[in-house]
Amino acid sequence: MSTETLHLNIDRADGSLQRLIGLVERRGFHIDGMTLSDEGHGRHVELAVRGRDAARCTRTLGRQIDKLFGVTRIDGRPSGQHAGQAAAFHPEVAA
Amino acid sequence: MTASAARIPEPAAAPKSGARLLVSTLERLGVEVVFGYPGGAIMPVYDALAGSKLRHILVRHEQAAAFAADAYARRSGKVGVCMATSGPGATNLITGIANAMMDSIPIVCITGNVAQGVMGTDAFQEIDILGVTLPIVKHSILVRDPADVPAAVEEAFHIAASGRPGPVLIDLPKDVQVGQTSEDFGFHIPNAVTPIDHDAIARAAEMIRAAERPLIYVGGGVKIGRATEQLRTFADQTGIPSISTLNALGTIPTDAPGFQGMLGMHGTRAANEAVQEADLLIVFGARFDDRATGKLAEFAPHARVVHFDIDASEIGKLRETHVAVTGEIAPGIEALSAHLSGTPLAIDPWMIRCDTRVRRTAFRYEDAPGEGVYAPALLKAISEAAGDDFVAACDVGQHQMWAAQHCRFAKPEAHITSGGLGAMGFGLPAGIGAKLSDPDATVVVVAGDGGFMMNVQELATLRRYGVAVKVLLLDNSSLGLVRQWQELFFDGNYSEIDLSDNPDFVKVAEAFGVEAFRISRREEVQAGIARLLAADGPCLAHVIIDPRENVWPLVPPGKNNAEMMEGA
Repeated sequence: MSTETLHLNIDRADGSLQRLIGLVERRGFHIDGMTLSDEGHGRHVELAVRGRDAARCTRTLGRQIDKLFGVTRIDGRPSGQHAGQAAAFHPEVAA
Repeated sequence: MTASAARIPEPAAAPKSGARLLVSTLERLGVEVVFGYPGGAIMPVYDALAGSKLRHILVRHEQAAAFAADAYARRSGKVGVCMATSGPGATNLITGIANAMMDSIPIVCITGNVAQGVMGTDAFQEIDILGVTLPIVKHSILVRDPADVPAAVEEAFHIAASGRPGPVLIDLPKDVQVGQTSEDFGFHIPNAVTPIDHDAIARAAEMIRAAERPLIYVGGGVKIGRATEQLRTFADQTGIPSISTLNALGTIPTDAPGFQGMLGMHGTRAANEAVQEADLLIVFGARFDDRATGKLAEFAPHARVVHFDIDASEIGKLRETHVAVTGEIAPGIEALSAHLSGTPLAIDPWMIRCDTRVRRTAFRYEDAPGEGVYAPALLKAISEAAGDDFVAACDVGQHQMWAAQHCRFAKPEAHITSGGLGAMGFGLPAGIGAKLSDPDATVVVVAGDGGFMMNVQELATLRRYGVAVKVLLLDNSSLGLVRQWQELFFDGNYSEIDLSDNPDFVKVAEAFGVEAFRISRREEVQAGIARLLAADGPCLAHVIIDPRENVWPLVPPGKNNAEMMEGA
């Protein structure tokens, strides 16, 4: 399995970091690396993740992270937007 | 607090404690009923409850508070509320919180905790409940300042109910409960409107028009998304046959034309065979749960998939999706119906095939084996006798599957069951929550002897509040579903399933002050049903059933849904 890096902002509320790391591991990913830096009002996290098996999809993981409150992916997703509030996603058309 | 939220200062008021702010905020949000159990670390909240407008239901175990709040939410469509003290009170909520998470039910759980100054010191009844529950909540908030209490509560309610609903935990340290503040901040999150993706809808409509064997796959997200009427209209207008997950039963009425029944492990032959033959699945608010799909790689092998869901992370999670429509389901279905109106689908041969199979494979009751009470026939009869106001609050086990297979459900709120978690002990407290949310409903707890004993203490709650729940206790003196699997898949090696030393359940109920009687023979069933339903208050019918009776059909583990086993 290849490693991919997620870039995220997390707030300082109790449990935010634990919530993020727990979700990644529960959903079937190894965390191979992590950096955490202070960004004033919040924190920036880079997580290197690798699926435990071929069935683990980082696209699905990203969407599961999007559902967390206080955690925001910064790779292409508008800040502060959550699943329940999000604008419609682009539909996926399988081959 | 979320980035998009805004704290709205309200007029200055006299100083209040965090506990009083909690109670006044719950009142302001329209909460009427709270299920809970007091203890040391939440005593300031209970002090503030006295004299409030809130009706507190004192359960006899915190797990029952969470289950009752869950069922209250399922039946009413409102957010259910439960509360407990720190430590063991909080940990006793956990199974109920997980149940709400698995079935996407909006509940807010309020826990007391030790004062912040002693957090992390292993203080008496200190548990990091926020940390313990992280995997099983939609969100959780540890409140550190009394002034933040109103905002935290309002945020919790908003998160619990919005988008894909779920449980939210609010942890209140004792110093926050007793701390005084004159600040009182409201909280406002603007309601986001999800635009309908008309391009995706048009592609979905195109696929439906092109399909020869389309099938509507109804999940629990339809009722949660209040899209029942839209879905029923869509099914009526198009004539497309439909199937349902366990949690969605009642969304399409059991006796509606084209309805094939529940799919999956204990689904109907008609539903499972229709899935395997379909060339298009139109999925509304379902997550391809393994109990529904059987062997995933062989599930619906000929079907393309159109998937409507509010939760984008469910799209493509387990099954490839060809057209995805994320967002609120009700407007999505309305838009789809509009695209398809005026153009009848050319699916008559498929409709006839499905209807014929439904009739040919329907359950039969008249030739039930033996002379004892046949539970499937009893469940069918009581649901028909209770009529459209019937609500089944099911426990977990064989009886749960029989209820799903054989009861008549006219409304989506008529079937309350622990679907995702499968939590034994759910039935009785769920019945209490459902009845308190809708006193006019005929709420029947369908329980087995194993699960009933897990929350039997709630008979005291029935008695205390006169909650007129009818308990149908199907007693096979064993853990029936486990016994069935041991019979079929473990060479009949029966291990720890014997419950023949159960207490006398009639005497137990009477000891709690609840009317009770026994049904032992088939000829007693009709009179027993009439007596149970006619009882003014809570009543328990103890029904002796054959311990060898199994649930059929059954898709064995690791098999596809076409490989159903049938009983004798």
